Amino acid sequence: METVIGIRGPDFVMLAADCVQASSIVVMKSDHNKIHKIADKIAMATIGDAGDSNQFTEFISKNLALYKMRNGYELSPKAAAHFTRRNLADYLRSRTPYQVNMFLGGFDDKEGPELHFIDYLANAKSLPFGAQGYGGYFSASILDRYYHDKLTEAESYEILKKCVAEIQKRLIVNLKNFNVVVIDKNGIKNLEPITSVKLDAAIAAAQGAQGVRAH
Amino acid sequence: MARRYDSRTTIFSPEGRLYQVEYAMEAISHAGTCLGILSSDGILLAAEKRNINKLLDSALYSEKIYRLNNDIVCSVAGITSDANVLTNELRLIAQRYELNHGEPIPVEQLVSHLCDIKQAYTQYGGKRPFGVSILYMGWDKHYGFQLYQSDPSGNYGGWKATCIGNNFNAAVSMLKTELTDNGSIDINKAKELAVKVLSKTLDTNKLTSERMEMATLRRVNNKTVIDIMKSADVDVLIKKHEATEAAAEAAKKEKATTSSS
Amino acid sequence: MALQEICGLSDAPYMKSRTHFLKSTEEEMKNSTSNIENCYSLSAPPFENPMQNLNAIQQHGEKSGIKIDFDHGTTTLGFKYQGGVLLAVDSRATGGQFIGSQSMKKIVEINDYMLGTLAGGAADCVYWDRVLTQECRLHELRNKERISVAAASKIMANIAHEFKGMGLSMGMMLAGYDKRGPGLYYVDNDAQRTPGNVFSVGSGSIYAFGVLDSGYRWDLTDEEAQELGRRAIYHATFRDAYSGGIVRVYQVTKDGWINISNTDCMELHYKYAEEKK
Repeated sequence: METVIGIRGPDFVMLAADCVQASSIVVMKSDHNKIHKIADKIAMATIGDAGDSNQFTEFISKNLALYKMRNGYELSPKAAAHFTRRNLADYLRSRTPYQVNMFLGGFDDKEGPELHFIDYLANAKSLPFGAQGYGGYFSASILDRYYHDKLTEAESYEILKKCVAEIQKRLIVNLKNFNVVVIDKNGIKNLEPITSVKLDAAIAAAQGAQGVRAH
Repeated sequence: MARRYDSRTTIFSPEGRLYQVEYAMEAISHAGTCLGILSSDGILLAAEKRNINKLLDSALYSEKIYRLNNDIVCSVAGITSDANVLTNELRLIAQRYELNHGEPIPVEQLVSHLCDIKQAYTQYGGKRPFGVSILYMGWDKHYGFQLYQSDPSGNYGGWKATCIGNNFNAAVSMLKTELTDNGSIDINKAKELAVKVLSKTLDTNKLTSERMEMATLRRVNNKTVIDIMKSADVDVLIKKHEATEAAAEAAKKEKATTSSS
Repeated sequence: MALQEICGLSDAPYMKSRTHFLKSTEEEMKNSTSNIENCYSLSAPPFENPMQNLNAIQQHGEKSGIKIDFDHGTTTLGFKYQGGVLLAVDSRATGGQFIGSQSMKKIVEINDYMLGTLAGGAADCVYWDRVLTQECRLHELRNKERISVAAASKIMANIAHEFKGMGLSMGMMLAGYDKRGPGLYYVDNDAQRTPGNVFSVGSGSIYAFGVLDSGYRWDLTDEEAQELGRRAIYHATFRDAYSGGIVRVYQVTKDGWINISNTDCMELHYKYAEEKK
């Protein structure tokens, strides 16, 4: 039911994740943050089995912190993604596999922005954009349609808004809020969450404007 | 008295020394010399070869210099069989890191990891320390060109130029005087310097390419290039060195004669 | 019997001497009670690969009639408001269709400043709450200060993670007061752990949520909050067959927890019915 979306621009990566935490059919929380800062310029948006996603993200982020403490420098986003995938692959073949899917977004001072797709089967791929979870089915075509190589941060945010609007319109499950994070050369920054309230207002305003034109 | 404290590695002597470790270091100071020089555009390792029997199969063309991965090379002084075990371990460590992180291991991490193993052999009972000192040269994206040295106690450090093995003290002091004068040097100058230092510190009167090995590590087009030099190329360097030496000698003599006349 | 070893005959139980048999029983006893010495070395369900097979057994249970019925069915709720944290729970303990108790204490007093609620397997919750109590006390002795709710809930989540998939059934809230003020965390057997303002757990939670969400405000007075909690649990006991008995209400403030009321839901039923007239 959960959804994460990632977009890589020419000089930034943007991640979005819904904020729902559910227990069977009950929404326990609708302001739960699923995008975690795991290094100065790396963030991870994780969904999947309730306990696993938190536990696994924390496991990875603490390992990255340990690496930094030992060596005095951080792991690059590529190495972090590789390390994450590798751990997931090892756990997959153990008695206690982690059921998690994620996007790892990072900015490397030499290589630029990076977006890595990783799923619970330890399948990993660097992508320009992508989406996972049920909402991913609805976002895929929107991302295909509107993505281009010279995307700005603002344009990217607009695409995310389109994705969220579509998810809220077509997906049977109620995913009210989406947290958005952008990672660029200056580090990680939280953007204004995309909420159904704000989207509704924007749609109403747009329709209002159309109405005026029709007269 | 000393016998009571040197039969086991793990026991301190009353003066607070670990004899076994010191003996291992002593063994190394009789082994073939290795030296390393860090230059502005690359690094160099040079090693003395002791096995120069004519009957040896020359298929094994590098004896003391080992490539560990695409970016790191090491040269060893000490017990060769111990060295083989350690270089094997080094290669494994480097590959394991690459398997886990998808990128080459930073040089210092490799050195530090091996030194953890070396240290363990000075502490845990029933073990003998490795009788090997190692010089490492490598490149990584964090700190560029690096030269490290490690010893049997598990200690390691980074150097601009250093030497291990037979007569290393003389070589180090020579490197010190040569390098402080010039400041930073380039790789070609480093090669000449290596030949010069080795020719002075080796026991033989005449340096030949059979008696030494040399390897350089440089970066070309963002790729690490490791060159374990052929003996013909080493010969060229030695010839050049002998020529300059001869010229210097002649100049000295001439000066002596002119001043005396 | 020259080939008894090869035939594996000597391994058969009837080939073993009585003393030997007793020894293996002893061993088994020791293994299955190892948690008395170390509370974390709890023996796993008594079959191979419990994570998969337990689920398989439970699924097959409908057909075979052999099913482990965990003590299930509860309504618990907790919320933060301006006056601290309020917890309210029912007191019915059920095993399948059978009501085992009408006076169960589903709020565990971990220390003077922290409470835990239990839902799911009663034994699991009680056992791990006792372990948690021990950990909290040890934390106090080691660090000369009370454990935070965040840390306590993290211990619980780590336990849940360690035993995930082994058949534990827990859904608990931890409420307390620490340096950061009032704290309320939800932890369950999936190792899910999250802080929040309003939670309800158990089979009756869907009913409790209805009343709770429609009446909840941050600036509730103490009396309003107590009444909201009580009412929400009452309405859950009314609709949910697995909830009932006594409605217990607790409040946690900076001075520690207090038990506000323990009222039979029948009493409440007639009281509220009276009010409606």
